[in-house]
This record gives sequence, C-alpha cells and structure tokens, in this order.
Amino acid sequence: MLGILKRDFVLMISSKQTIILLIFYIPFFIMIADSFMPDILYFTIIIFYSYLMSILSFSYDITGKSKYIMNSLPVSRRELVLYKYLSTFIYFVITVVYVGVYLWIIDAFNFVSVDYFNLTQIANAFPVLMILTGIVYPVYFRFEPKIAQIIQMLVMVFFFTTTANISFTGDKGVLIYLGKLQWGHIMVIALVIYVLSFVLAVKMYDNRDI
Amino acid sequence: MDYILEVNNLRKGFKNFTLDNISFKLEPGYIMGFIGPNGAGKSTTIKLIMNLLKKDGGEIKIFGKDHIKYEKEVKDRIGFVYDENYYYEDLTINSMKSIVASFYSNWDDNKFYQYLKEFDLNPKAKIKTLSKGMKMKFSLAVALSHNADLIIMDEPTSGLDPVFRREILDILYSVIQDDTKSIFFSTHITTDLEKVADYITFINKGKIVFSQAKDDILENYAIVKGGLDILNEDIRKEFIGLRETKVGFEALTDNVNKMRKLFGDKVLIERASLEDIMVYTVRR
Repeated sequence: MLGILKRDFVLMISSKQTIILLIFYIPFFIMIADSFMPDILYFTIIIFYSYLMSILSFSYDITGKSKYIMNSLPVSRRELVLYKYLSTFIYFVITVVYVGVYLWIIDAFNFVSVDYFNLTQIANAFPVLMILTGIVYPVYFRFEPKIAQIIQMLVMVFFFTTTANISFTGDKGVLIYLGKLQWGHIMVIALVIYVLSFVLAVKMYDNRDI
Repeated sequence: MDYILEVNNLRKGFKNFTLDNISFKLEPGYIMGFIGPNGAGKSTTIKLIMNLLKKDGGEIKIFGKDHIKYEKEVKDRIGFVYDENYYYEDLTINSMKSIVASFYSNWDDNKFYQYLKEFDLNPKAKIKTLSKGMKMKFSLAVALSHNADLIIMDEPTSGLDPVFRREILDILYSVIQDDTKSIFFSTHITTDLEKVADYITFINKGKIVFSQAKDDILENYAIVKGGLDILNEDIRKEFIGLRETKVGFEALTDNVNKMRKLFGDKVLIERASLEDIMVYTVRR
C-alpha cells in the first residue's frame, strides 16, 4: 500500500503539469463559480481534486509501459486493485486538508469570501467521489489507458454538466428528485457501487493480459 | 532435483501465434540462454513467467512454487530486466529506486549505490536523459540490489555496443559465482551466450527445438561442407538445414558419426556455432 502511494506521490510532484493543475485550478474554479454555482463551489473543488488525484496515476501509463514494471514487482494484481480502491479515501482526506488550507488563505486575505471547511459539503462529496471512481476504476483496469481516458473524460463532463444543471435549475430541475434521497441512502448506494466496482475490477484485472 | 525455474507444457494462443506446450527446467547456479529468432515466442514466455500474460494451459514453478499462487513471495526473489526501459522517464534514478525498493523485503541500498558507482550512473539524473546502455545498467542495478535468486532478462544486450555487452556479461558471470542463483536470459545474439551460458533453450515458431547443456549441443551439432555432386534428394533429407551455392553446400547435422560414415573424406566437418544451429534450424 505504502509503495503504491509513494509511487503516486513521487509521480505527482515530479510532473510540472500536475503541479500547475493542482495550484491553478482553485482560482479558476472560483472565477467560474462566481457566475453560476457559488453555493456548491467547495463541494465541486473537493470532488474535482480528489477525483483528479485518484486517477492521475493511471495517466502515467498512457505514454509509457510502466505497467510492466508495476506488475513485475512483488505485489499481486488483487493487491494493486485493492490499494487503488483504498487510496481514494486517502486522497479524499489529503484533498480536504489541501483545499482547506488553500481556500483559508484566499479567505483570510479577503480575496474572495469562500468556504474553507464545510462538513455538510464534505459529507455530500464523499459518496459522489465513490460513485465517480467506482465507475472509472474498472474501466482503467480493463482497457488500455487511452480508451479508459476517453471514458473517464466523459464521466467528468457528465458530472460537471449535472452539477451545473443542479445549480441552474434549482428546485425546478429534474434532478431535484435526487434531493429527496437522504444522505444515508446515497451513502449506501455509493458503497454498493464501490464494492461491486471493486469486485468487477479484481475479476477483470486478474484475468487480463498486461 | 529442485529446480529454480520449471516450465511444463506451457500454452498461450494469440490470433496469429501460439506458444505450443513448451517445457524446460533450470537448476540453481546456472545461466540458461533462451534463443530464437524474432517472433519465436521468447518475450511471450518471459511475460508468462512474470504473470504479465495469462497462460491458457500448463504449469510454471519458480523456486518449486506455483508462480501465481505464490506470486508475491516468488517475485520478491526475482530480478527482472526487460528489453526496453519501462521505468517512468520523468523520474530521477533516485526517485525510481525509492519506489521500487519499497516493494522488496530484502532491498539493499548499499549494494544499489555500489552498482551505480560501478556503472558510472548519476543518481540525480533523470531516466529520460540516460542512453540505452545506461538505462539497461540502471535496470540491472535494480535487479541485482534485492538479493534475487533468479534473474530474468529479456534481450538485455540487444541494441548495445560490444563494450557494454561484454560489461553486462561479466556482471552476470560474477552473479553466478554464487551457486544458489540462476539467470534466465533471452537473446538473439548467440555469441553472448557462447561466452556465459551453461544451458541453451532454443525456441522456434512457439515450439521448443531443444533445451540442453551448451557443451552437449556444441558437441552434437556440426557443419558439413562439401561439393554439390554428392547431394541427392535422400541425402538432403539427412540434414537439419542446408544451404546450396554454385560451388558447394553447407549443412547442419546433429549426427556427426552418421555423416562420417556416409561421406568419409568427401566432406569437411566443422564445429557449429549457436548461430549456425539457429540459422539452419529456422531455415529448414
């Protein structure tokens, strides 16, 4: 587990593109959120960053064949899948801390008034992240990274369109029906999706040629 | 007999290629060369041993244990070197080492830095700035720094100049001085193997042609040279492979005594190299 996390972090900090993305996306979000989704800015940022960190390590395999190295090391395929699924929770915690500090600085210097810690939105973001990664992980474990990247981009586009839709339409939108579900219900649905996704990913990754 | 690597009736089918029930065994303390032309199935076999490909049938045992059931335990004792660099290009040697090292239970940092010094590699250099030979040396340093008992190498010398190749072979030779360790080494540069290998396994079109001690192979096989006048259809069938020119013929045999009886002084019988054996067998 530590080895996988170490790999992800070393790769993350060694890529200038990733660092730029992690630093400059928050101001970018604040700029666009001002116009149409100020209420869910914190929620959106938490989702985006934790999702990004979770899937980033897959993207390093797109250009190279580092998957051969990872699968030649003393770690089983099941463990590789399991660690990936567990790492989502770690990335979520890291994101809450990172985004919290970043937004606190923005708020403290009176650049913009923003939430830097909102427990309700953190609680709402958690099952959404599980659902998003639960959809995308099996795709990465089954298909070549290029195909998987296209699918994950579609998931991302779907998520942001939906989020914007909720913001725009408010209580008149179709998605309001989702609002009738309690947090507990959504959490159970997310957990079921995540566990099923894990079982599927293990099965698919265990039986495929690398 | 305890084998360090045992492959029995291994089978893997692709659309245009089948690895067809191959079997061979490697004892501790020896180097086995795995030879064959491009596309013969060498890399496929190595990927199957490393569980990068899923086998359709057969059995692979490493250190006497099933390579999938005991995957983690087995891979902890394997050092691998592949034909190209699969490490993350943007990382430095040090960063890549720290990732890889965290997976092995017997990683030895002192040994790793000793190899870096010996290979003249800068630990702060990014992998993408290394030449092909240096990348290969880095892979080798990683493979040799966790006290592996089996080193598996897929074409480690291909594309390298003779000086680099000789250096790598010398290192392999020194590794094998510890008679509990073994090396399984695929290549199509057969001259490398004539220097260091104890056993040769020859694969062609997904089938094992032979898997024997190198000395026995070089003793059994021979090149027969003679004039075209002694050739006829029946005689041609006696050879493993035959090359005819305007002035005569050259052929490969694995039965020197029979050739001597058949032709007497009419032919010249010379020692066959591994390259001769490979070329004539593939051409047949």
